[in-house]
Amino acid sequence: MTTTATTASSFDVRAPIHAIIPNVFDTMLGLPLAPARADATRPGDGLITGFVGIGGENVCGAVYLHFPEALAQQAAAAMLGLGAGETAADADVNDVVGELCNMVAGGLKGLLCDAGLPCAISAPAIVRGGDYSIETSEDVPRQKFFFDCQEHRLAVEVHLKTN
Amino acid sequence: MPTKVLSVDDSKIIRMIVRRALAAFDCTVVEAVNGEEGLARAASEKPDLIILDITMPVMDGVTMLARLKETADLKDIPVIMLTAESGRENVMHIAQLGVRDYLVKPFKDEQLVEKVGRVLSLKPAAAPVAA
Repeated sequence: MTTTATTASSFDVRAPIHAIIPNVFDTMLGLPLAPARADATRPGDGLITGFVGIGGENVCGAVYLHFPEALAQQAAAAMLGLGAGETAADADVNDVVGELCNMVAGGLKGLLCDAGLPCAISAPAIVRGGDYSIETSEDVPRQKFFFDCQEHRLAVEVHLKTN
Repeated sequence: MPTKVLSVDDSKIIRMIVRRALAAFDCTVVEAVNGEEGLARAASEKPDLIILDITMPVMDGVTMLARLKETADLKDIPVIMLTAESGRENVMHIAQLGVRDYLVKPFKDEQLVEKVGRVLSLKPAAAPVAA
């Protein structure tokens, strides 16, 4: 995956993301997450990316959660209560990744609204693939965060432009 | 007649979690995938409780709730709202809609069981299965 440069945003998402994402994973999945170094990369297998758009009069952007396939499968198994050796169907994995992304974006949306930036969030969407990157307009500030979950690494991108 | 709960959510996963949590009670769970279908099921099933997501395609939960409140034989069905949006303004808005209670995602099964039990004055027959 290509890592894009981080630029400053008037709404600092670092602290909210580091609070919201571990809480979502712990509450819904019982999976602990640990922040990882931002420049650390791991050879990836396939990716499943969930994303939710954020839009309002003075704010626009999106939240992207990039799951390695194995982590997405682990998350789906945890949420569905599957036993050892059971595998979640692709549609269920997509639903889990989308729902987790929706919860993260919902938490961020609440903080934006409370900060005087009323906005709405879109329904989640899913992208599956191998080596891809998310491109947006150059004037949209973007930040990228990494979390380790056991042997897997979750990448989180927040693209957020505020006026 | 067993207690009947209507779960309205476009997410199959969340409907499954609701169903799993409510297995703690002696109740029947019926489902709908959006507000429009939820209204139809509410009219046909006359549930004792509706667990209602806010953000859904076709008809969202806020619109469905408003329609419920306009319908004489449905307006008194208690509603627990589910929301992924945790901000103060959102919570205050939900509280003003006439819902019995609300739950912010992410949530644990036990939290939903506690709220459903309180609204329906039911005690769980079994501990909810942890996610």
